[in-house]
Amino acid sequence: MAQIVEAVDLKKTYMLGKIPVEALRGVNLKVESGDLLAILGPSGSGKSTLLNLIGALDKPTSGTLLIDGVDVSTLSDNQLSDLRRRVGFVFQFFNLIPRLNARDNVELSLSIAGVSKAERKKRAEELLETVGLKDRINHKPAELSGGQQQRVAIARALANNPRFLLMDEPTGNIDSKTAREIMRLVKGLNAEKGVTIIMVTHDQHLAREAKRTVQMFDGVITSDVANGEPT
Amino acid sequence: MKAKDVFSYSFSAIKLRKLRAGLTTLGVVIGIAAIVALLSITQGLQNTITNQLETGLATDTLIVTPGRSVFSQGGAGIGGGFGGGGSGFTLLLNDTATINGLSPDIEGSVAIIQRAVYFQNSERSFIINVLGVDFAEYEAIYGGNTFVAESGTINSNPANDEVVIGNTLHNPWNNGTLLYNVGENVDIIWTNATARPPKNETYTGTVTAVLKEIGGFSFGGPSDTGVYIPSAQAESFFGTDTCSQIIVKLANSDQATIDNVSELITNTFDGEVSVISSTAVLSIIGSVFSVIQLFLVGIAAISLLVAGIGIMNIMIVSLIERTREIGILKALGMKSRTVLLIFLGESVIIGLIGAVLGIVLGWGLANVVAVVFSGGGPFAGIGGGQDAGVGTAGLDIVPVLTPTVLIGALGFGIGVSVIFALYPAWRASKLKPVEALRYE
Repeated sequence: MAQIVEAVDLKKTYMLGKIPVEALRGVNLKVESGDLLAILGPSGSGKSTLLNLIGALDKPTSGTLLIDGVDVSTLSDNQLSDLRRRVGFVFQFFNLIPRLNARDNVELSLSIAGVSKAERKKRAEELLETVGLKDRINHKPAELSGGQQQRVAIARALANNPRFLLMDEPTGNIDSKTAREIMRLVKGLNAEKGVTIIMVTHDQHLAREAKRTVQMFDGVITSDVANGEPT
Repeated sequence: MKAKDVFSYSFSAIKLRKLRAGLTTLGVVIGIAAIVALLSITQGLQNTITNQLETGLATDTLIVTPGRSVFSQGGAGIGGGFGGGGSGFTLLLNDTATINGLSPDIEGSVAIIQRAVYFQNSERSFIINVLGVDFAEYEAIYGGNTFVAESGTINSNPANDEVVIGNTLHNPWNNGTLLYNVGENVDIIWTNATARPPKNETYTGTVTAVLKEIGGFSFGGPSDTGVYIPSAQAESFFGTDTCSQIIVKLANSDQATIDNVSELITNTFDGEVSVISSTAVLSIIGSVFSVIQLFLVGIAAISLLVAGIGIMNIMIVSLIERTREIGILKALGMKSRTVLLIFLGESVIIGLIGAVLGIVLGWGLANVVAVVFSGGGPFAGIGGGQDAGVGTAGLDIVPVLTPTVLIGALGFGIGVSVIFALYPAWRASKLKPVEALRYE
């Protein structure tokens, strides 16, 4: 299988005021196409930082990060923007645009990629149907439940047929029943559509449903197991 | 991202904050309205004055006055004085012969003797400028245009007592009250201050013609308030062969002819005369108005500057409020340039709406002011003003909105908005996605 993410000795240091914070201290990770990966770890372990780097939202301080074979540290701002269009990001707080309805939120992602109006509409409606929100197309985020908003966010993330889906605590802000439904949707996307998924969570139950679990602590990966077996 | 989509995204952001956007736009509206109103009023005023002057001026004539200075000495001689420009040089009646022989481009010339006199009949007495002119020559120059009888006849070989009067002296108010009529005898009284002792000279003339209404200011040519007597009579009555000005008729109104003949005449009199063409007068008035316009527009532009700062302020507030949104847009793969364009797009929309409303408001304002000025004149269409100046009461100002002003105001409104939005837009575009997303 094609390798779409490869991190070698990846380091990231933030400046928190004047104090340097080493969020990542040498991470090595490989993700192959079709994977369903859960990154577990306590807060401050660097899992969100890793996700931001993989999503091209941020640049590493040192080390190598290859996405689709391209070293992100060599990319310009514009090239990073282009790369982000090939990555689907799902956030803990949904991050939908409040003034736009469900369809327009999904369309926004397509319109940034330069897709024509007619095609955007068609594709947005298909995607919302896929995530089970066919009857909520014209609702604004405020009129949707947390779970529904997260489904819109997933539909938006899938809009440009991304190479992989990055999910940062996708169920962190919704009740456990809805969280299981979201997880079922995510597994379905992985199994049926072959979408590669990298998910950050601190929910052990959720992580167990992934094909592979990566445990992080203090900026490094402490374990990496597939289907419960050590790799 | 397609330009159309960028623009519609900008628009959706503005729609969300209607009141705030409305107030920001109001600033632009006021600035542009002030500029448009001032420009169209001054342009209208200039047109009115220019039209009135053009009525009294023929473009193929030059006015020669004694004195080196330009423009301000046009009325030399009033008050019985000798000397126009301070050097003691005077123009004489027979200088016309000299001028006529200078160039084939000169068709003729007429000398004007000018005096302030009492002009009275049994009922009324006015102090008025009387002009002694050769009727035949004067008619040759102005006959087709302004030196035309409405009633009575202008004889080209007049008797000494014949008097031609301007229309205002006959019928000033258009209400049936007539001052002086054809056939009426009038006394013309002049105080000879050089006689010892000074004494009043009087002769009685007969009105033989009333000019048709001219409706303009007089500059060299006939006017509605003028009184014209034969030059021979003026010469003997005023006891002078000094004239205040000589009007020269040219074969054509080409600028080259005007320049050549002007130089010839000036050189002939060794620089002691000023030669003014009507086009020069008009261009002087034009440049005076340009300065006035520039000044007024400068003041109005200050209000637009204030509006610009308002735009900047509001954009910075909006930028801070929307930090997270910008983070989302960037996370979805929007380029920094596109974020910049979205913010600039908002300012373009504000500038465009503000400028359009400002132009409409300014145009309305200009018309209201014009009506107040002229005491009830008609509203006029864009580019109007052809009939300005034929009114008799006050100044009929017809505001003029030239395409230049229209496009300029539009461009200026949008330009100011965009310039002041540049900094906030640039800041928005430079936001780092991770930090923007973390912003609460």
